[in-house]
Amino acid sequence: MTLQYHVKLDDGDVAPSILLPGDPGRVPVIASFWDEAHEVASNREYVTYTGTYLGVPISCTSTGIGAPSTAIALEELARVGAKTFLRVGTCGSLQGRAKIGDVAIFDSAERHDGASRLYAPIEYPAAAHHEVVTAAIEAAAALGITSHVGTSFSTDLFYMPHEGFAFGGYQQSWARESLEDARRRGTLAAEMESSVLMVLTRIWGLRGGAISVVADDVFASTNEQGEIDAEATFDVGATNMERLAQVGSETVRILAEADSAGRV
Amino acid sequence: MSLQYHVKLAPGDVAPYVLLPGDPGRVAVVASQWDEAHEVASNREYVTYTGTYKGVPISCTSTGIGCPSTAIAMEELARVGAKTFVRIGTCGTFQDRVANGDMAIFDSAARYDGTSRLYAPIEFPAVASHEVVQAAIQASRELGYPFHVGTTRSSDAFYALHERPGSSFDGYWQSSWAEHFKDLRRLNVVAAEMESSVIFVLARIWGLRAGGIAVVLDNVLKVSGEAGEFDPQEQFEHGGDEIERLARMGSEIVRILAERDAAAGRPA
Repeated sequence: MTLQYHVKLDDGDVAPSILLPGDPGRVPVIASFWDEAHEVASNREYVTYTGTYLGVPISCTSTGIGAPSTAIALEELARVGAKTFLRVGTCGSLQGRAKIGDVAIFDSAERHDGASRLYAPIEYPAAAHHEVVTAAIEAAAALGITSHVGTSFSTDLFYMPHEGFAFGGYQQSWARESLEDARRRGTLAAEMESSVLMVLTRIWGLRGGAISVVADDVFASTNEQGEIDAEATFDVGATNMERLAQVGSETVRILAEADSAGRV
Repeated sequence: MSLQYHVKLAPGDVAPYVLLPGDPGRVAVVASQWDEAHEVASNREYVTYTGTYKGVPISCTSTGIGCPSTAIAMEELARVGAKTFVRIGTCGTFQDRVANGDMAIFDSAARYDGTSRLYAPIEFPAVASHEVVQAAIQASRELGYPFHVGTTRSSDAFYALHERPGSSFDGYWQSSWAEHFKDLRRLNVVAAEMESSVIFVLARIWGLRAGGIAVVLDNVLKVSGEAGEFDPQEQFEHGGDEIERLARMGSEIVRILAERDAAAGRPA
């Protein structure tokens, strides 16, 4: 296998376990929590660092925002030897119990994205690997971080066309109750990448999972005019990034330990 | 809450942990594995036994075939206090690595049913509780049963969608069926059965727990004869002890979950 077109990675450049944030700017921040790390590639929205965390080989590659660029990253990372994929991102809470700063552990995702539909029929479940879910629960508990296990609302839209969200007040009737309905059926939080990650890893027989720190409450992130104001209401500060890096890296360590112990 | 219309159960009639086979005839067989059991209701396709297994309160209710009758059973069982639902059934497989007689542990389901769509949009995942999946893996290991964890394709049609004419009556067939089974194999789907999708979707919506296991009776891509003919009575393997193994594994899953719930201080 040769150099991969978008991520600019080759065999040997990445560890078997990869953390996947959306934002390329977060990759060095996450890697700063490891024993040692170095940048192995940077192209477009894809930045990759490889290193070790508590002795365990680990990599981190940014996916960019959304399922299309994430699918490209997954295809190319799998070709250069990645086996376990853990998204580490931010999300908006749909349930009051998941507060800002808590960590959402996604065992599954609603597939409101386009890319995963091109790979698998919509009936197919976006489900995380149970070993990743269990390891993430253990990691959060060990770090004393409050976590919630549940379903993600993975969507291609950040600015949903309901009142106040899309530019110019553009609205569509289907969007009006979409997030309230998701809340009613127990869906935990909204973000934009987990569905395609879970579908592709399942198809390929690899391990996938996703955790996200809660950066906002979806139903409280609008101003008095009902307009979304992400800049003012989202908390993507250092504390939350630290939590992501710690829970993500610790999840990888727990999985590596279980793998070497022969525990499946 | 009073007596439920279809299942004829009232609060107190069932344990928090309920095993769900499709066939009402299997309920008594399942219950015969327990310490003690008695029939608490029988109406239409819904037969319920309640008892104890290794000291743990347990129930078993048949759902009938398919998601519509299964959704009714789930709605009514939840109303009378059921909290954890474990489907125990039979299935076919799409994967050559899975042998007849192996156990399939379902961590998720592809939603080829009608009922679950009426409850939640098709984008919503049909996913088992990871606690039930973990308990099933442990039970299978302890019992020494070969097992496979993966996705089941839950379909409303038993005789339709086969790759060649011969499955539906009188050779009825549609061209869109030709690659359906092969595509599912390529999607890494492990099993085919008819009830898990709605069980997983409803339990998740309600914040209750569900999971599913099934014993593999056939390889879906190999079961048809030379000319595509499909005769499950002839072609499915029924060694006789499958249902007994299913019953033992389902009951062990409940025992393990009850033990872990007690250790974690969770109410059953």
